Amino acid sequence: MAKIDPTLAGKLKKYGAKDFPACYNCGNCTAVCSLTAKDANYPRIFLRYGSLGMKDEILSAREPWLCYACGECSAACPRDAGPGDFMAAARKFAIAHHEPTGLTRLLFTNSPFAVVFTVLLAVVMGTFMMMVSDRVDPDNVLKRWIFDHLSFSVIHDMGMVIFTFMGLSALLGMILMGRRLFAGMPKLENPRKAIVSAIHNVRAELLTMRRYRKCQDDEEPYFKDRKWPFQPWFVHWSIMWGFIGLLFATILDFLLKDPATTTWWPSRILGTVAGIAMMWGATLAIIYRIKGVARQYRNSTLADWALLGALFAAGLTGFWMEVAVMAHLENDLNAAIFIIHTIVSMELVLLFAFSKFAHAVYRPLALFNYFLRQK
Amino acid sequence: MEEKKKKRIGVYICHCGGNISDYVDVAQVRELAGKDDFVVVAKDVMFACADSNQKDMVADIKEQGLDAIVVASCSPKLHLHTFRNVALRAGLNQYQYVQVNVREQCSWPHHDDRKLATGKAAGLVEAGIRRVMGAESHETIRVSAARSVLIVGAGVAGMRAAISLASIGNEVVLVEKAAEPGGKLAGRKDLFPGDVSGESIVQDLAARVRATPNIKLFCGATVSGVCGSMGQFQVKVNVGGQPAEDLEFTVGAVLIATGFDPYKPEPGEYSMGSPGVIPIGEFVKLVESGSGELMHQGRRVRSVGFIYCVGMRQTKGKNKYCSRVCCSGAIQASLSMHRRYPGVQAYHFYRDIRAYGKQEVMYTESSKAGDVYFMFTEKEPPVVTADGSGAVIKVKDSLTKKQEVEVPVDLVVLVTGMVPQADSGAIAASFKVPIGADGFFNEIHPKLRPVETVINGVFLGGSCQGPKNVTETLSSALAASAKINAVIGKGVIDLDPVIARVDSSKCVWCGKCAAVCEYGALVEMERDGRNFAIVDEPSCVGCGVCAPVCPTNAIELACFTDAEIEGMIDGFALDQNINITETAAAEESAAPSVTMKEYPAQWHMILEAMKDGPISIPDIAKASGLDASLVTRHVMTMNRYRVAEPAGLDDSEQYYLYQQKS
Repeated sequence: MAKIDPTLAGKLKKYGAKDFPACYNCGNCTAVCSLTAKDANYPRIFLRYGSLGMKDEILSAREPWLCYACGECSAACPRDAGPGDFMAAARKFAIAHHEPTGLTRLLFTNSPFAVVFTVLLAVVMGTFMMMVSDRVDPDNVLKRWIFDHLSFSVIHDMGMVIFTFMGLSALLGMILMGRRLFAGMPKLENPRKAIVSAIHNVRAELLTMRRYRKCQDDEEPYFKDRKWPFQPWFVHWSIMWGFIGLLFATILDFLLKDPATTTWWPSRILGTVAGIAMMWGATLAIIYRIKGVARQYRNSTLADWALLGALFAAGLTGFWMEVAVMAHLENDLNAAIFIIHTIVSMELVLLFAFSKFAHAVYRPLALFNYFLRQK
Repeated sequence: MEEKKKKRIGVYICHCGGNISDYVDVAQVRELAGKDDFVVVAKDVMFACADSNQKDMVADIKEQGLDAIVVASCSPKLHLHTFRNVALRAGLNQYQYVQVNVREQCSWPHHDDRKLATGKAAGLVEAGIRRVMGAESHETIRVSAARSVLIVGAGVAGMRAAISLASIGNEVVLVEKAAEPGGKLAGRKDLFPGDVSGESIVQDLAARVRATPNIKLFCGATVSGVCGSMGQFQVKVNVGGQPAEDLEFTVGAVLIATGFDPYKPEPGEYSMGSPGVIPIGEFVKLVESGSGELMHQGRRVRSVGFIYCVGMRQTKGKNKYCSRVCCSGAIQASLSMHRRYPGVQAYHFYRDIRAYGKQEVMYTESSKAGDVYFMFTEKEPPVVTADGSGAVIKVKDSLTKKQEVEVPVDLVVLVTGMVPQADSGAIAASFKVPIGADGFFNEIHPKLRPVETVINGVFLGGSCQGPKNVTETLSSALAASAKINAVIGKGVIDLDPVIARVDSSKCVWCGKCAAVCEYGALVEMERDGRNFAIVDEPSCVGCGVCAPVCPTNAIELACFTDAEIEGMIDGFALDQNINITETAAAEESAAPSVTMKEYPAQWHMILEAMKDGPISIPDIAKASGLDASLVTRHVMTMNRYRVAEPAGLDDSEQYYLYQQKS
């Protein structure tokens, strides 16, 4: 027997589901959803769980991760309860809940804190990087103060500890979510075959966005007659694969120990192509959100802006540097741009598990679970 | 009373532009009618209802000295009054007119058998002629009406009706059982919509009632006796006092506005009787009595559970109906609570939310305010367990896959509906007004005559008729006021003379007629040591149900006397020789197509015009050479027989186009 908890609604509102208590359970949202299925029924029932305070039902469900927020349900809602926004909020709520430190909850629900925290982190990193830079006079008071007290190795170790801590938090979050997700999993008849097939399906989904493409609202006037590069699914695809490509390029750069001065080096080509893809997606997504072209782009939270803004800034500064490196323009401005690029990229990686970015792990996990259970 | 049989009758057989004449041999019917000794004028006409024909009829009546007329055409529903007016214009009594329906009863149903249609038409016309021979002349019955009204119940409906009736010159006797006027609205604060409180509405109405000299308000009073009928009711009002005093009034009409009672939950129904379980009426009083912290029996209330449909919509129980206003009432009470006591959580347990009209806005507002709604089915109602320290409501929530949810609350509110007022039965009996299966007073027709009862002169207002909110209550009270004034406002009432009459010499007063009369129109009289029935004219509606039950055949219905009915039977039974001409019969059998053989010639002409696609009626007229009005009638009939069909508007959007139906 479930016991009612009326406080959950208030909590979910803070994650962006501002209007969901207006829901009167007509079920139009579920009826119009192109992705809802017998074995994955949403969104109405999740708004219901939210109203009644059935937290566990939301946290252990894969359904929120199967939704791509096309916004068709919100457009069909007769009471403007925003079921699509609710699903987005449920995802953020789950990320925050699974992550053990509580930092994510603060970042999502307390905007002033989120701004102060990210800015402060940027300032600390920026100051540190300026101090290690050769451009700063070795006799600078601050520089001397820092390095007199801390040896470089200590700073390096501290960085490693922080990175490890962040990484472990993310890992723990994933494990916790996975445990909930896979609890009550029926015994598979042929586990190996099922796992192989599920992995194949997840890979196909990530490569082709086939479910996202299915959930396109054909009636949405803005996207009705647009070509595929402008469609939301492709915007999402290019951001995702762009970022993954850049990550690989960066890792390759480091492995090859040649921070990329040669334009035609394969890792550089990969970086440029991936960067263009990511910038295309991020730019379009930002434009769509600013203009509010369709329902899914209208109700943006700080977390949405932060992720997009960071990706865009990282991409922009990255290209700037590439041009600067090619033209051998070594000056203070380009040095500053380099620092900004590094700060933004570091924040993206550092806060990966503590931001909306974490969905990049949770969604494939939930998809894997979904496909695994599918007959 | 028997009038001399008519000697000079005019008969008119209508073609109805082919509607009749295409299937009925109109000329032959006219010929047969003309053979009758008393028929002076017999004509067949293209359209009997046409102005020109009406003028001809008036001229015939005057010139030929006709004293009765028969028109064989369409249904009397369509043209009875048309031809009654022709009779009046020619100086005849309007009841010296009989209409025979040969279109709906002959040409349309028997379009496949010309001989049968013609024979039946001839029989019906002969029946009409015999009927009009025995027809009596009647004048409107006029009775005097007291310009005063008895209103039972001084709630908002009764008071509002009293003010409105008094303002247009009627005396009003307003009787209220309680010590103060106001009814259920007295003392209430929040109403929806608007920001006027119930209390102030009642105070305002009561002040106006008391300030109106031609309203006599009696509180703590009851109606103790009623006799008489519309226009002249004699009513006794027990105005209390020691010893109890009866006042007598003569009123022209009565308005029943006795309202409703709230349903009283049975002890144990949803734990009714346990501490912390109260009906909605009590809850509303609790909410409206203060602000700040909501307290009940010394305990702070932080959450409230409303259970809807208590005692209502029982598929197996007594109250099968929906009380309509309780959903919105509970939602409003919840919003009212939020305004006065912020922070109290509300839970609603409902079967269906029926927040009709503007009240839907309240429902939305309540959801947005965080009220949680649970849906249950009649089969699995919520279970309430309440001890002194709070209550728990367990519900199988239909909206959450029937999961059982446990909801702890501080206060359980039973949202009860409206049931008939306790005295309804007694009041119904004294006014002889019927009450329905649900126990509420019955109107004649819920849509066409919503405030009248089968008893002439007795009207209904407000929720004594069934669950209503304040707005609807006042609307019906004002509708009843207007209706009452229309009846008594002139001081006289004109009654239709088509009513029953008793031959007192034949009557032996067995009481059978009075037993079957729903209107209480047959009253026992005693004269010269003999008892017999008389008809109370204002009460009789002319339904005729009394006439056949009378064992001594003492009762007749005006316009349907034995002489007239027997005449009709004789006329219809008359054996008339119908000859359908050889050519017509030959034409019929020679027609090549089974489907087309019955089409009149004009239809072929019209279909010819439709050959090239959709065409308007003026264009058909032009192409076929037929008169446009004739084309209209034919096309209508062709449409009815699925030969032609409408095909939208023409380009100028002035005319409808028609085409042949494939």
